[in-house]
Amino acid sequence: MSTVIQDSDSRLDLRQVSKRFAGDATARPVLDGIDLSIASGEFVSIVGASGCGKSTLLRLIAGLDGDFDGSIDFAGEPVRTTDLARGIVFQDHRLFPWLDVEQNIAIALKNARLSRDEKRRAVAEHIALVGLRGYEHHFPHQLSGGMAQRVAIARGLVNRPRLLLLDEPFGALDALTRARLQRELQRIWEHERITMVLVTHDVDEAVFLADRVVVMQARPGRIGKVIDVGLARPRDRSDARFVVLRDEILGELGQLQSDVAPSDVR
Amino acid sequence: MANGFARNFNPALDPGVHDARPLARASLLNAGRSAGWIALPWLLPAVCAALWSLGSRYGWISAQVLPPPSLVFDTLAGMVRSGELWMHVGASLSRVAVGFGAGVLLGLLLGGVLGLSRTAEAYVLPAFNAIVQVPVLGWLPFLMIVVGIGEPLKYILIAHAALVPVTLGTLQGFRQTPDAYREVARVFRFTRSQTIRSVILPAAVPVIGTSVRLAFTKAWLTLVVVELVASSEGLGYLIVYGRQLFQLDLVLASVLVVGAIGYLADRILTLLEARLQRGNPR
Amino acid sequence: MADSSLELEAGREVGIDQPAGRWRGWVLPLAALAVWWYVSRNASGTQGIMVSPAQVLHTAIAQAESGALWRAMSASLTRELTGFTIGTIAGLALGALLGVSKIASRAIGPSFNTFKQVSLFAWIPLISVWFGLGDVAKVVFLSLAALVPVVVHTNDGIRAVSPALLEVARVFRYSKWQTVAHVVLPAALPSLFTGIYLALIYSWLATLGAEYLLVAGSGIGNTLVDGSEQFRMDLVVFGVIVVGVTGWALNALARAVQRRWFTHAAQAARLTQ
Repeated sequence: MSTVIQDSDSRLDLRQVSKRFAGDATARPVLDGIDLSIASGEFVSIVGASGCGKSTLLRLIAGLDGDFDGSIDFAGEPVRTTDLARGIVFQDHRLFPWLDVEQNIAIALKNARLSRDEKRRAVAEHIALVGLRGYEHHFPHQLSGGMAQRVAIARGLVNRPRLLLLDEPFGALDALTRARLQRELQRIWEHERITMVLVTHDVDEAVFLADRVVVMQARPGRIGKVIDVGLARPRDRSDARFVVLRDEILGELGQLQSDVAPSDVR
Repeated sequence: MANGFARNFNPALDPGVHDARPLARASLLNAGRSAGWIALPWLLPAVCAALWSLGSRYGWISAQVLPPPSLVFDTLAGMVRSGELWMHVGASLSRVAVGFGAGVLLGLLLGGVLGLSRTAEAYVLPAFNAIVQVPVLGWLPFLMIVVGIGEPLKYILIAHAALVPVTLGTLQGFRQTPDAYREVARVFRFTRSQTIRSVILPAAVPVIGTSVRLAFTKAWLTLVVVELVASSEGLGYLIVYGRQLFQLDLVLASVLVVGAIGYLADRILTLLEARLQRGNPR
Repeated sequence: MADSSLELEAGREVGIDQPAGRWRGWVLPLAALAVWWYVSRNASGTQGIMVSPAQVLHTAIAQAESGALWRAMSASLTRELTGFTIGTIAGLALGALLGVSKIASRAIGPSFNTFKQVSLFAWIPLISVWFGLGDVAKVVFLSLAALVPVVVHTNDGIRAVSPALLEVARVFRYSKWQTVAHVVLPAALPSLFTGIYLALIYSWLATLGAEYLLVAGSGIGNTLVDGSEQFRMDLVVFGVIVVGVTGWALNALARAVQRRWFTHAAQAARLTQ
């Protein structure tokens, strides 16, 4: 069931991406000179404290915001606006309250060039993929947070995007559900093999899921360090190497905090 | 006011706002656009006023059907100067004051009793609900027989118009105190009256405030109708009088005053409501 | 919030939440009825005002049998439904325009807001000059009465659509039409319904007022006014009951529609806010 992905098919290149909020020339830019390349099929996680601009960066990649300097290229084409090839899962699931699970996933296919049968099959496949068979006719208010988020993930995948962006998708969930969904996401990624970019403030989650972890600093938002996670999957959170990596990242984040010069404190 | 036309538009509906624009935009162009933006609300009224004036001047519209705006304003000014307008405004306002005041007070009382006592609610509310099903205007002919067409008719009808929403609002406000707050009162062993004074009442204020504002709108509306039907002074009377004599300038002037007063009163009540609701999240 | 405002504005029944003891609600009405009957029996002189329940019943039957009741009701209801329909359709169109286009909202909105400040009935005399005293004038007035709440609530509903959901539409590349049809409309539907509900109630109120003031023609309002002028209390009381029952029926109808189609949407919306 996996699609064959070419090397250049879903390569993401960010060059000197910068953004300031309009009308605020005096404040530090939100993003400052972001350079990042993500290969096809890679799983990259972006971590950073609040205010480092990681969600803003994700929205730029998704095409929800077109106001920035520098360039973002996806599969060789510049990113200007949204596209079905780049899917996104939000932290608030944003399911339509008036549609049931099946319909919520189906509306993603409204502009997809598939026959009605193909669409129906795709929806059913993805409901099964996220483990929600039997809940097709439930409404969002009848679902738990974790289940709703799984629907959101299914909706994000049903178009078979070449890139899936996830903006703190598990941030609003309890620890147990989060752990379970992280395993689910990993399983789905291995199954679909599409490029995934996950923004999170949970370092554990980043090390568990990603090939590489991008650590961002705040004020201005910039890339501090990119760390390779060379561990085989499935990963063991109590493995010594896992712990070392996690501590290294935490250290980067902690060290950055103490880097704040006195003059920055207002 | 809840209906904020043009005060907050939804940028996501006009994605053009988001698309990348070079930051260096001719500031002159921006100024032009914002001047147009400021003037836009006046476009429609200006066009209408222009058409109206021209229509009257060139006789497309006969004065019988729609008198020229100049005449309307002259009439209005004349009435202001002669004091006639104030006499009628005073008559209308005093009726509303009495009726609205009585209706609100009674409504607060009734709603409060019904809201605090389940027994009272069980006995009274069904009957109240049944009476509410008859709109205020439905009682007009009935009351005309019982009390005639004098002042009491107006007072009673206006009071009724105000009483209904205030009762319902007070009732709701008292019933819908969040359980969370009630539990806090129990933890601190509040007596019944302490609970009412410190928890239930303050929490009910927003709903009551809204209902009072609504009650005024209905009271003013009722006043206008009653004065149109059965009155010998007041703004409604002026409208009917002008209509009968085909002095439409008088009619329009009075309609303007009716609208102005209604608007002013609503604004005042909205401000009061905002004051009361300081800090109250609902 | 929509629920509570409907109760306040439309005079909807506020529910009582105890299952047992429904009989207690009957005590007052029955007692009142008894008092009325007793007083009307013993009051001899005041023939006009004090009318007995039996007389009212008698009149009611006479009205129903002679067909006068049905004629009046059908005239009133036809006019109301005509005005309601016209006003609702126009209101949906105007409200949608104002909700979707910020230019239209800024150009037309303030004027509309000003217009709706004026108590609607104040326009009747003018309408009578332009349209006469008959059905046309009444329907024009009723359409206006229905139009106002529909415009207000349609506009509000559209503007209140969550930007989060609108972004989802952008992610899936919906055209403007698709966004309106598949996101804006469903999200705004509860508010739209509130507007239409109020339009129904307001146009019923307006029907009565219009019949009092534009006296040509027939209708239940005319029945009431005639009864009042002829000092026929029995007719007036009968009319009041009919008006009350009709109002209740309209409310019940709208409530049933809301329960069937809108509760789960309102429930869901409340939870996801």
